[in-house]
Amino acid sequence: MQHQFNNRWKSVVLSLGCWAIIDVAQAQSPDSTKQEITNDEDFSMYDNVGFADEGARRYCSPKIEGLSPAKLISVGYDYQLGYGLGAGKFTNQANRILEPDSARVLNSRGLRLGFNIPVISRTDLVWQMGANYWEQRYSMLDPDGSKLKTDHPLLQTLSENGLRTFGVSTTLFKPLDDTRFLLFQGSADLNGDFSPPGLMPLKYVKYSAALVYGIRPHEKKQWGVGLARTYRVGELNYIPVFLFNWTDPANKWGTEILFPARAHVRYTINPRNMLFGGFELEGQSYRLWRVSNSYSIQGEDLEIRRGEIRLRAMYEFSLKDFVWLSVQAGYRINYRYEVDRLVGGQEIYRAFGLLSDEPYVMENRLGNPLYFNISLNLVSP
Amino acid sequence: MKKLTLFLIGLAISIQAFALIPGEDGDRLLGVWEPSNGRARVKVEKIGSKYYGKIVWLKEPNDPESGVPKTDKNNPDANLQNVPLKGYRMLKDFVYQGNNQWTEGTIYDPLNGSTYSCTIKMTDPNTLDIRGYIGVSAFGRTDIWKRLAVKK
Repeated sequence: MQHQFNNRWKSVVLSLGCWAIIDVAQAQSPDSTKQEITNDEDFSMYDNVGFADEGARRYCSPKIEGLSPAKLISVGYDYQLGYGLGAGKFTNQANRILEPDSARVLNSRGLRLGFNIPVISRTDLVWQMGANYWEQRYSMLDPDGSKLKTDHPLLQTLSENGLRTFGVSTTLFKPLDDTRFLLFQGSADLNGDFSPPGLMPLKYVKYSAALVYGIRPHEKKQWGVGLARTYRVGELNYIPVFLFNWTDPANKWGTEILFPARAHVRYTINPRNMLFGGFELEGQSYRLWRVSNSYSIQGEDLEIRRGEIRLRAMYEFSLKDFVWLSVQAGYRINYRYEVDRLVGGQEIYRAFGLLSDEPYVMENRLGNPLYFNISLNLVSP
Repeated sequence: MKKLTLFLIGLAISIQAFALIPGEDGDRLLGVWEPSNGRARVKVEKIGSKYYGKIVWLKEPNDPESGVPKTDKNNPDANLQNVPLKGYRMLKDFVYQGNNQWTEGTIYDPLNGSTYSCTIKMTDPNTLDIRGYIGVSAFGRTDIWKRLAVKK
């Protein structure tokens, strides 16, 4: 019943997403055929002009020339090939020790939906709001290839429920003048195995944010430095971030970097066909077993700290006007997939081991498979 | 009778003047404007009852690779890729709707060769909100253009 509901719900969302992309694209009928050039005037007369309003100011743009277009709506599917998953030893509330177990993951895959709508889009302020839904479902067998038979709670819940993320996000771009700007990105995500299905209490929301102070010295370069609160390595961390977007004078080569979250080199075949090579750091904390406390320790909540590096090549191109297809292939390298506990409802903040060396309650091993991702996108003007 | 004739002539002139008001208001769009990126200047003209804007100045007039004047090389229509950008009509078909708004037009972005639906709103005599969008206005971006005048 639940499975049917999930499938029906997924079909509705997928259909709406595709419909929105196609319908909006069809509503647009670019007229690029009529172009009457009347160059019978002396254009040099426009060299010596200035603002009619002497108090007018120039502001820098959030984009640079040659940058890949922002995605307003994205409907995608992510697929990882097979790998081994070794779930670690675990002691539950009743001090019953569960021995390590392992499984063969045939594939893990899932839908990825994203919406990003401009709320205020002005020269002196850009504010966007977004929402996203990501899922990761696992098909597993026993290591010998037979049907999965396990008592291990992690393997059970991943096999039966997978992991899901519901999130909202916001982006603010505030130009300070014609070269300097502030960029703020924030997000709130509910992540978990959602077993049994339903909404999770808001106290489990994970908040991420980044603030960057940047400089845009000219049309083809912007850079900045800032600080981020992030779960991209699986657990909470506060790290410096570095922005560097650049396009070469011939508009062929460029970079799109928000390090350490992602870094790509871009090659522009033409403004409607772009190739990328680089990596993305992906991760979140997922709440597990949200009702049953059979697997908790002294009633504390447990979460997976999942962090992975995706080395990848991408090809993004315009199918028609503003509808773009993005295809990517790469290698998914596991960075962390441990189960951690919340102490009094609070995450253990380790600061890469500098502030705490508290061990994880379950240490797991994942193989590193090839992966593929395809998405249909409506891109921004 | 003479008074009646004068009254009718006066009424006719008033009606004619009133009828012209929308056109005269709409003509406030005429002039030279600069988009927020400062890379171009666009002259708005009136042809028939509609308003059009053409590029009359470029901050970087020549192609950095070839050194020759820039053309519309990103246009998806290969027949238009050799058309010079100076003089290129990037705003088209705007109709004045009253209330300081011009609609039903399109805006062309030479950087990516895309044409967007567009509305123009004059927020003060020297400032335009130019909103380019895809299909529905929510999927769009507003740029602020400033009126230019000859330097004294």
